[in-house]
Amino acid sequence: MKDKYIFRTGVLLIFLFMFTSLFLGMDTCLAQEMGEAEILEDSLAQPPAPPTNVVAKDAPNDNGHALLVTWTLSADDGVGRNNVVSYQILRSDSPEGEFEVRGLVPAGENIFSDEGAKEKEDANYFPPHKDFYYKVRARSDGIFSDSEVSAPAQAYGQWYHTGKTPVLFAVIIFSTFALVFITVARKGKELYIRPLAGIEAVDEAIGRATEMGKPILYILGLGSADMIATIASFTILSRVSKKTAEYQTPILIPCCDPIVMAVAQETVRAAYLEAGRPDDYKQENIYYLTSMQFAYVAGVNGIMIREKPATNFYLGKFYAESLLLAETGSLAGSIQISGTDEIAQIPFFVAATDYTLIGEELYAASAYLGREPVLLGTLKGQDWAKALVMIFLILGALAATFHFQWFLNLLKVQL
Amino acid sequence: MKLFDRLLAIDRRIIFLLVAIAVTLPLFSKTILHIEISPMVKGVYDAVNNLPPGSKVLVTFDYDPASAPELQPMALSFFRHCFSKDLKVIIMGLWPQGPIQANIALEDVFRIPEIKAKNLKYGEDYVNLGYMAGNEVVIQRMGSDIQATFPVDYSGNKTSELPLMKGIKNFDNIDFVYNLSAGYPGTMEWVQFAVDRFHAKLGAGNTAVQAPGMYPYIPRQLVGVLGGMKGGAEYEIIDKHPARAVSYMLSQGVSHAVVVFFIIIGNLAFFATRGKRKTSE
Amino acid sequence: MSTNLGVWIAAFLTLGIMSFLYKDNPIYKFCEAVFVGVSAGYWFVTEYFTVFLPKVWDNVETAINVLQAEGRMDWFHWSYLLGGILGVLMLLRLVPKIGWISRWPLAVIVGTTSGLWLINYLVSNAMVQVRQTIIPLYVAGNLNASIGNIIIVVGTFCGLIYFFFSKEHKGVFGGAAKVGIWFIMITFGASFGYTVMSRMSLLIARMDFLVGTWLGLLK
Repeated sequence: MKDKYIFRTGVLLIFLFMFTSLFLGMDTCLAQEMGEAEILEDSLAQPPAPPTNVVAKDAPNDNGHALLVTWTLSADDGVGRNNVVSYQILRSDSPEGEFEVRGLVPAGENIFSDEGAKEKEDANYFPPHKDFYYKVRARSDGIFSDSEVSAPAQAYGQWYHTGKTPVLFAVIIFSTFALVFITVARKGKELYIRPLAGIEAVDEAIGRATEMGKPILYILGLGSADMIATIASFTILSRVSKKTAEYQTPILIPCCDPIVMAVAQETVRAAYLEAGRPDDYKQENIYYLTSMQFAYVAGVNGIMIREKPATNFYLGKFYAESLLLAETGSLAGSIQISGTDEIAQIPFFVAATDYTLIGEELYAASAYLGREPVLLGTLKGQDWAKALVMIFLILGALAATFHFQWFLNLLKVQL
Repeated sequence: MKLFDRLLAIDRRIIFLLVAIAVTLPLFSKTILHIEISPMVKGVYDAVNNLPPGSKVLVTFDYDPASAPELQPMALSFFRHCFSKDLKVIIMGLWPQGPIQANIALEDVFRIPEIKAKNLKYGEDYVNLGYMAGNEVVIQRMGSDIQATFPVDYSGNKTSELPLMKGIKNFDNIDFVYNLSAGYPGTMEWVQFAVDRFHAKLGAGNTAVQAPGMYPYIPRQLVGVLGGMKGGAEYEIIDKHPARAVSYMLSQGVSHAVVVFFIIIGNLAFFATRGKRKTSE
Repeated sequence: MSTNLGVWIAAFLTLGIMSFLYKDNPIYKFCEAVFVGVSAGYWFVTEYFTVFLPKVWDNVETAINVLQAEGRMDWFHWSYLLGGILGVLMLLRLVPKIGWISRWPLAVIVGTTSGLWLINYLVSNAMVQVRQTIIPLYVAGNLNASIGNIIIVVGTFCGLIYFFFSKEHKGVFGGAAKVGIWFIMITFGASFGYTVMSRMSLLIARMDFLVGTWLGLLK
């Protein structure tokens, strides 16, 4: 009996304890929840701390239609109440006036570029030299707080773009090299250029054509008269046509561009005059074929097969037709000298022609043959610029290996 | 040695004939080769795939019919990708025949059932601004004002009145530029002007001749390059719509095998007979 | 087989040009002449409708209309006439006595292009490329990247040595130049391979046209 009583009391006590714990626990949880809810409600109800230190200033390196706005992040952005969702940037043209929204950035960011159009008719026209006031609004799900209004700021254009300073230095350095060496060349000083295999073969190739009594075919490429490769080719053409005038070997120059044809005629006429054989100059040998790439190739291939020139020169700007020309010339049994700065076409010329001037060697060849002070001086200037690049490269790579970014920062350009 | 001498003296017309057979016979087969996707092609695909619907894509057609076999399949698959993602396409060309090639690609893409079902409207979903002479100066001018550069479109409509062109001022309003190029003016000019000067985001489709020259521009100036027909095939595979470029890959592979075979035996014959030639000299 | 006349003409021209692979023949000569002539005519028409008309004619017409309607000079549209005048001056090359005048528009073209290209080429093809080649020679924990970076830097450096024209290729300098030309030739070989692929692609498309579109043998 006593045992049953103790047992029942014990069970009752256990249940009582359980219910009490449960009640207390709920109470605690509730209290906790209530506490969190209170805290949550508290924070939801409270707007985030406003951003501070709003500064508006002219956006650098632009045309005067933008202002840069920066601020210190709200104290509740990522810390504190951690309830900032985004920042709205508002602008007015007076501190007490109506503010309009100019942009939105996510929480964590503290910079905004307020840009507009430069045309007055444009709806988003941004007038320069006009005071604007900014304030930044920290937002959090429908509630927000505004910063103090900033000091006035005006947008104005810059005459000089500081991000392009490396380009300025590069142009000055390169131009200085070129001008110094042009001056030196004009004074008559001998400027050394290393021998180029293709150039040494030019005279031999012209001689071969003379012996065989066959014409020389000179192809200036598909470039226009303003392209560097074409201009270099004109210089070499001058030298080649002077030799053909002396040897009385016909030279055929089918052209792809009417202006190139005009310049080629001028060049060859001058060369024949210089050689003392103006009467041997035949304008009909320098003619316009067509401007369409593959039609031009078809025409030149026909000339090669029919005229069977002893020597072919391919010097200038070439594209997909390079191998077609070189292969047909090889079929016709011509000795072929080629040169282009089109990297993609050089492999074909290397494979199918006897001598190839690779890339810049074409420009060097024109300087070597023409011996004009401007060409020689420019080539020398380029060499010194290349030397500078090589030094930069090696020092920069070594510096980068040891995590020094100085060289990289030096070459950083913002256009 | 006699065999090697004969190999060196082989008539080129036999090689031409074998290459023609190597190219033609696989066209009759339906076999599709396995194609690996290169990072260069993936760069372009991902750049387009990450654009939200409604983004403006400028597609420039800088090639003529001579390069169409390589670039037209790329154009078609790019259009398919853009329209399937509801991107807005603005077409132009720096080559005279470029916009014509664009219209041909549009006709082909509108035959695809899923694209046809979208009922895309000219002026709202796509426009063709046509050809503009001036080469890189055109790109430079577009950096200031696209509508002033193209006052009328390919059909003579005023550009300012086209709904798609409203709000398009310059490259700041273009989300992605895709250049199909066969030479000059082409990708290099777009890199120099649109990217380096006006900070456009650029992807390119080039002929295989040009493509290696564009690799130095990746990834800072170019997001990626589709090189030749193989690049077009990779794009079709990654977009899960194999089409013409993929079907041509078997011919491409077999013809390459024939060329490699002749290069190997040619070189073997050359080196084998070199001693004999030196002796005779 | 196609019944479209245009397809047959295209097929005839394709086969005519391809016949050159066997040997030169009258059909090739005919096709070549047709191609050259049509392309020259097409080019003229294209230039007229895409360059002369919109750039010169339309602008001058607008300027004249403004002058007649509003009585003021629209200098913006009149300025396009300057381009037209320069173009005419180029044509004076055909008159031997005053052909020298054509040097002026040529000078404008060369000068403008140089100015336009100078900065862009310098930045895009030189400065940015040099910057991208300044890479660490040793990348901690990544042997492949280290080897790759060394190859890039050595290749670029030696390639530049090869194109240095002020010193003869002898001794150590000559050795570096030889390394450079090896790099260059390997690059050319890769480029050659890529270009062969390009040519094959064009041939595949042509064969597809002949066998598929013209003869209708492909489905």
